[in-house]
Amino acid sequence: MVLNTCSQVMSLAKELEGQSAHFYKDLAKRFSRDKDLYLSFADENEDYVTQIERAYYGVITDAFEGCFAFNIDPEKYSFKTELSEKEALSDALKRALEIEEKMIHFYSDAAEQSKSLMADVPRAFRMVAKKRDLRKEKLLSLLPVKA
Amino acid sequence: MAILEEPIKEVLELKNYINGEWVESKSKETWDVKNPATQKLLARVPMSTKDEVLAAIQAAKEAFPEWRRTPPLSRARCLFRLKELLEKNFERLSRVQTMEHGKTIDESRGETRRGIEMVEVGTGIPSLMMGYNLEDIAAGIDEYVIYQPLGVFAHLAPFNFPFMVPLWYSPFALATGNTFIVKPSPRDPISQVKLAELIDEAGFPPGVYNVVHGGAEAANIMMEHPDIKGMTFVGTTSIGREVYKKCGETCKRAIVQVSAKNFLLVMPDADINATIAALLTSFFGNTGQRCLSGANLVIVGKDDGFYKKFLNAFVETTSKIKVGYGLDESIQMGPMQSLDGKQRVLKYIDIGIKEKAKLILDGRKPTITGNYPDTCFINPTIFESVTPDMTIAREEIFGSVASVMRAKDLDEAIQWINNSNYGNAASIFTSNGKAAREFQYQVECGNIGINIGIVAPMAFFPFGGMKDSFFGVLHGQGKDAIRFFTESKVVVQRWF
Repeated sequence: MVLNTCSQVMSLAKELEGQSAHFYKDLAKRFSRDKDLYLSFADENEDYVTQIERAYYGVITDAFEGCFAFNIDPEKYSFKTELSEKEALSDALKRALEIEEKMIHFYSDAAEQSKSLMADVPRAFRMVAKKRDLRKEKLLSLLPVKA
Repeated sequence: MAILEEPIKEVLELKNYINGEWVESKSKETWDVKNPATQKLLARVPMSTKDEVLAAIQAAKEAFPEWRRTPPLSRARCLFRLKELLEKNFERLSRVQTMEHGKTIDESRGETRRGIEMVEVGTGIPSLMMGYNLEDIAAGIDEYVIYQPLGVFAHLAPFNFPFMVPLWYSPFALATGNTFIVKPSPRDPISQVKLAELIDEAGFPPGVYNVVHGGAEAANIMMEHPDIKGMTFVGTTSIGREVYKKCGETCKRAIVQVSAKNFLLVMPDADINATIAALLTSFFGNTGQRCLSGANLVIVGKDDGFYKKFLNAFVETTSKIKVGYGLDESIQMGPMQSLDGKQRVLKYIDIGIKEKAKLILDGRKPTITGNYPDTCFINPTIFESVTPDMTIAREEIFGSVASVMRAKDLDEAIQWINNSNYGNAASIFTSNGKAAREFQYQVECGNIGINIGIVAPMAFFPFGGMKDSFFGVLHGQGKDAIRFFTESKVVVQRWF
C-alpha cells in the first residue's frame, strides 16, 4: 500500500527507526566488542524520531498538502532485523550497512517528495539521511579487512 | 493501517465553565454529539439556560477590573503556560477534533498547530500593545496614545474548526486585558471543553475565560447584553448579517467572518503536478467545509490540449482520494460533519445536474475505507461545463464539490470573481509574474493566493475578507485583532 499522508510517513519513519534500533540492540548483545557503539546508534534512532516529529508537528498546517504530499511504497524500505545465532560479525555488519542504505533511501525519497511542504520537514529528513551516511562510515571501519 | 487510539472512551456530559468552575447546566434540553464517521455518541451538550448565560457574562464582567490591572507581561506568562500545555496535549487535542468533527488526523494536527500559533502571537503582547507618542506637538506639550482593553468579549464558534477558530480571538482578547466568553458550536463542542481545561490549568484567574454551551438563544442573550463590548462570529452570511445588525443596535464592536465562494484560477503556464496537489487540499481538505476552500476551478485560456490534460489529471487524482475515518492515517478525506451538511451537498449536486452542468465525478455513493456507516460520508464530486450564472457557481455549497469553469482569458476570470457576492479568497496558479500581479491587484477578495490552494493567513497577519464574506472594520488575528480588542485613548499633556 502506497503512503500518501504526512501522518503515515511519520509513522513509517518511527517504525523503521524502532526496527533499526532493535537490530542494533541485538547486535550489542551478540557482539560485545563494539557494544557501546551499537547502543549509541540505537539511542540516536530515538533522537532522530524526536527531530522528525518536532519538524512535522511544528509546521503542520492546512496551508500545505498534508494528505496529498507523498507517494511512498513502504515495501521498498523494509529490512530484516532478526540476527540468527550463527550469523558472523561480518555478515551482521553487512546487514547493518544494508539497513542504513535503506534508511538513507527512505529519507532521501521523503525529503524529495516533501519539498513543497515547509522547509523544516524535508530538512529534517535530509539531516537524518546525512547522519546515517556518517554511520555507514563507522560501520565500514568495523568490517574485517580482507587479506 | 491501524486506527489511532481514540481519546474519548465514554460518553461525556458536558458542563459550562463559569467563573473558574465547571458547572452542570440546569437545562433539560441537550444535543447529542456524535462521531460523524462511526456515528458513536461522544457527548451530550446542554442548551444552557438564560441564567447560566447571564452568570457567565457577570463573571466575566467582575473579573475584568483585576485582569485589566494585571501587567501585560503577567498576562503573557499565562499564555506561555497555556502554550506549553497545548504542546503537551497536542496529539490528544488533535484526535478529539477528528472524533467530533470527522477531519483527517493530519488536518486536525494542522488545526491544533494553527491554534497554538495564535497563543504564541498573544504572548508578544507587551510589545504589540504599546501605544505611540510625539513630543512637542506644541511648545512643551506632548501627545500620546494608550491602548486599553474594553471589558467582556464573546465569541460564537462555528463547527468546521472546533478547536482553532475561537483561538483566532481569545488569545488576543485575553492578552490585551479583556475577559472572554466562548459559545462553542453545539455540533462539536468537546474541543472547546478540552481547551478550557487547559486554560484553567494554565492559571488564568476565575471569570477571565468562560465557556457556555447553547444555541441561538444563548447567542441572542450575548448579542443583546449591554455588558458585552464586542462579539466575534464565524458562520454563514445569513446569520452573520443578523449578528452584525444586532451588534450595531447595541453599539458593540464586531468581527463577522462568513460564507465564501472561492475561485481558483489555473493559467496555461501553471506547474500541473504542484497545482493539482494544492487543488486537492483546497477543494477536498476538511471535506470542503471551510471558508477558504476552493469552490470554482477556472481553467483559463483557449488551449484545448492544456484544458483536457489538466482536467483529466485533476479528475484522475481526485478519484483516488481515500475516504474514511480520520483516525486511520491513510485517509485523505473524512466524512461531512453532519447529515444536514451531507444533505445540503446532495441538494446542490441535484441542482447542478438540473442546471445542465456535466457531472464528471459523482461522489453521491461513497466508497468508504473501513466498515463505517455511510450516514455522513460523501466522495469528492466534480462538475464540468459550469457557467458563472449557475447556482452551483454562485452559492456556497460547503462540501467536497468542485465546479470546473473555462474562461477565455484572465480578464474574464477576474470579472467572474468580482461579480460574485462573496470576497473571501481567490488564488491563481501560474508561473507568470505579470499575471499574478494583475490578479492580486484586480481581484476583490480579502485573501489572495499565488500558487497557494488554501490562503490561510498566519496568526500575525489579519484574516481578510470582503463583500458578503466579512462584516466589520478590523479583522481577526494580527495587529487588527490588537486594535479590535483595545480602545485608543489619546492624552495631550502639559506641565506648568
